[in-house]
Amino acid sequence: MLELQQLSRHFGGVKALDQLSFEVRAGDIHGLIGPNGSGKSTTVNLISGVYRPTSGLVKFKGKDLGDLETDRRVHLGISRTFQNIRLFGNLTVWQNIWAARVVRSEGLKGFRERWLSGASRAKEDAELLLSFGGLEDKRDVLASNLAFGEQRRLELIRAAASGSDLLLLDEPAAGMNAEEINDLELRIRELRKLGRTILLIEHHMELVMSVCDRITVLNFGRKIAEGMPGEIQQMPEVKAAYLGSDLPTAA
Amino acid sequence: MDFYLGLAQVIGIHSLLGLSAWCVLHTGQVSLAQGGFFAIGAYLAGMLTSMFQWPLGYALATGAVSACAVAIAIGFPALRIKGLMLVVATTAFAEIIRLFFFNFKWRVAGPEGLVGPDGSLGFGGIRYFPANGWSSFELNALIWSLVAMVMVLLAWLDRSRVGTMWRAIGEDELAAQCAGINLTAAKVSAFGIGGAIAGLAGGIFAHYATHIEHGNFGILLATFAIAYPILGGLASLWGTIIAVIFVQGFLLEGLRFLGEWRSLLFGVLIIVVMIIRPSGLLKASLGMRGRLNKAAREPEYRRDQAKSGTTDEVHHA
Repeated sequence: MLELQQLSRHFGGVKALDQLSFEVRAGDIHGLIGPNGSGKSTTVNLISGVYRPTSGLVKFKGKDLGDLETDRRVHLGISRTFQNIRLFGNLTVWQNIWAARVVRSEGLKGFRERWLSGASRAKEDAELLLSFGGLEDKRDVLASNLAFGEQRRLELIRAAASGSDLLLLDEPAAGMNAEEINDLELRIRELRKLGRTILLIEHHMELVMSVCDRITVLNFGRKIAEGMPGEIQQMPEVKAAYLGSDLPTAA
Repeated sequence: MDFYLGLAQVIGIHSLLGLSAWCVLHTGQVSLAQGGFFAIGAYLAGMLTSMFQWPLGYALATGAVSACAVAIAIGFPALRIKGLMLVVATTAFAEIIRLFFFNFKWRVAGPEGLVGPDGSLGFGGIRYFPANGWSSFELNALIWSLVAMVMVLLAWLDRSRVGTMWRAIGEDELAAQCAGINLTAAKVSAFGIGGAIAGLAGGIFAHYATHIEHGNFGILLATFAIAYPILGGLASLWGTIIAVIFVQGFLLEGLRFLGEWRSLLFGVLIIVVMIIRPSGLLKASLGMRGRLNKAAREPEYRRDQAKSGTTDEVHHA
């Protein structure tokens, strides 16, 4: 579904990302891990179009994304969350979801969805997502007034609301407690069941090891390993990169 | 009584102007171009009725549409820049428009001699209302029905998808773009609709004043336009109207005994409101506040990141 080819991004003399190639297969939950500053967030920014690559290609569904603007990429089916939550703080929970859902209802299709079908498709979708996020009773609460865990959840369903096939989750578990992480894991699995492909950038190893089908490991902007969670844990180069941090031996 | 009817007309015209700025502020843009669009509407509508004897409705509509077209045309390049730079660029635009009319001379023979814009001497003889025997009361009815129409339109827009997109962009441009919202389309539409409303307000102003000149459309007018929605808050359209009534009715008319010192109070008022109610007088939800508070919220995020042991920041382009 998503293919990165020799993707590089340099900031001045710093090679934030260097010749990265990997593929995310449709229906997978693909993990992207690596120590701090290894280029994970740069990768997300390149895929979502926030940055332009210095060289290399991002291909989505076989199509080179080139210089496409971020919002056009969303329409093609790539949406994302942010490491430091970026909600529309002074909009309600409902409006946050609605803003992302409603952009799909453009042109003739949107006209049909809004006026010709009995109950509005867009409204139904948004309601569904609201209950998926477990935020039904918070619908009229301003997003900035939500608890931290709820804000993360809202950001996740806002990304899902744009109907994308590929969700880029940039450290969705950051700052969460164990209970919230379990909850997040269930929701990620649920999204996959609904047919979404997920690229999960995460620091929390237990979550990554238990939920991912495949994992790509970065260090200093380069790919150092790729494989199934079990294989990754055994690789000496991965252990070396993580030396000092607690890479769990069993998921 | 006449005094109050006249004041109501001024308040109505400024309400339209404030509502035009409200649109643009919604997308988080601070534009000082509203005075320029107002001037375009004023001169064009005034010329059409006085020089070419057009009916008022067509003249006003043409003024509004032209101001809208100009707004869209300058919107595309101008909205590539943000914040202070946009303020500077839009101020420059408004000055260009003002200086254009300062130099613009085109007079034709009318029933009472030459009429038309006469450069620095201004443009007098826009006598549609007196010539057609409109009473002060009728003029008020016209102005306020237009205000009502614009408010209904904006209230509807605000609840529609367009309004949701405007608000989302006002909150966080990058997040809005990542939610699939086309920034250019949303900002230019806000600029265009705001331009049309300002043009309409200008058209009415020209006929209300009967004599207009470049000095009417200076930086002060643009400041007023932007101050109304800031004072009133963006949560509700009523906030803007209340702010206009307060500034025009109380601050400028009610305190007339203070002479020119009133202008100073206007500045003080904005500063005080910014301090005690950063989201405007009515409970507000938007834009400006989001922007100001984002800086304040930033340390919280950093703490969260520190907690999770993360340091590689998203470098926002």
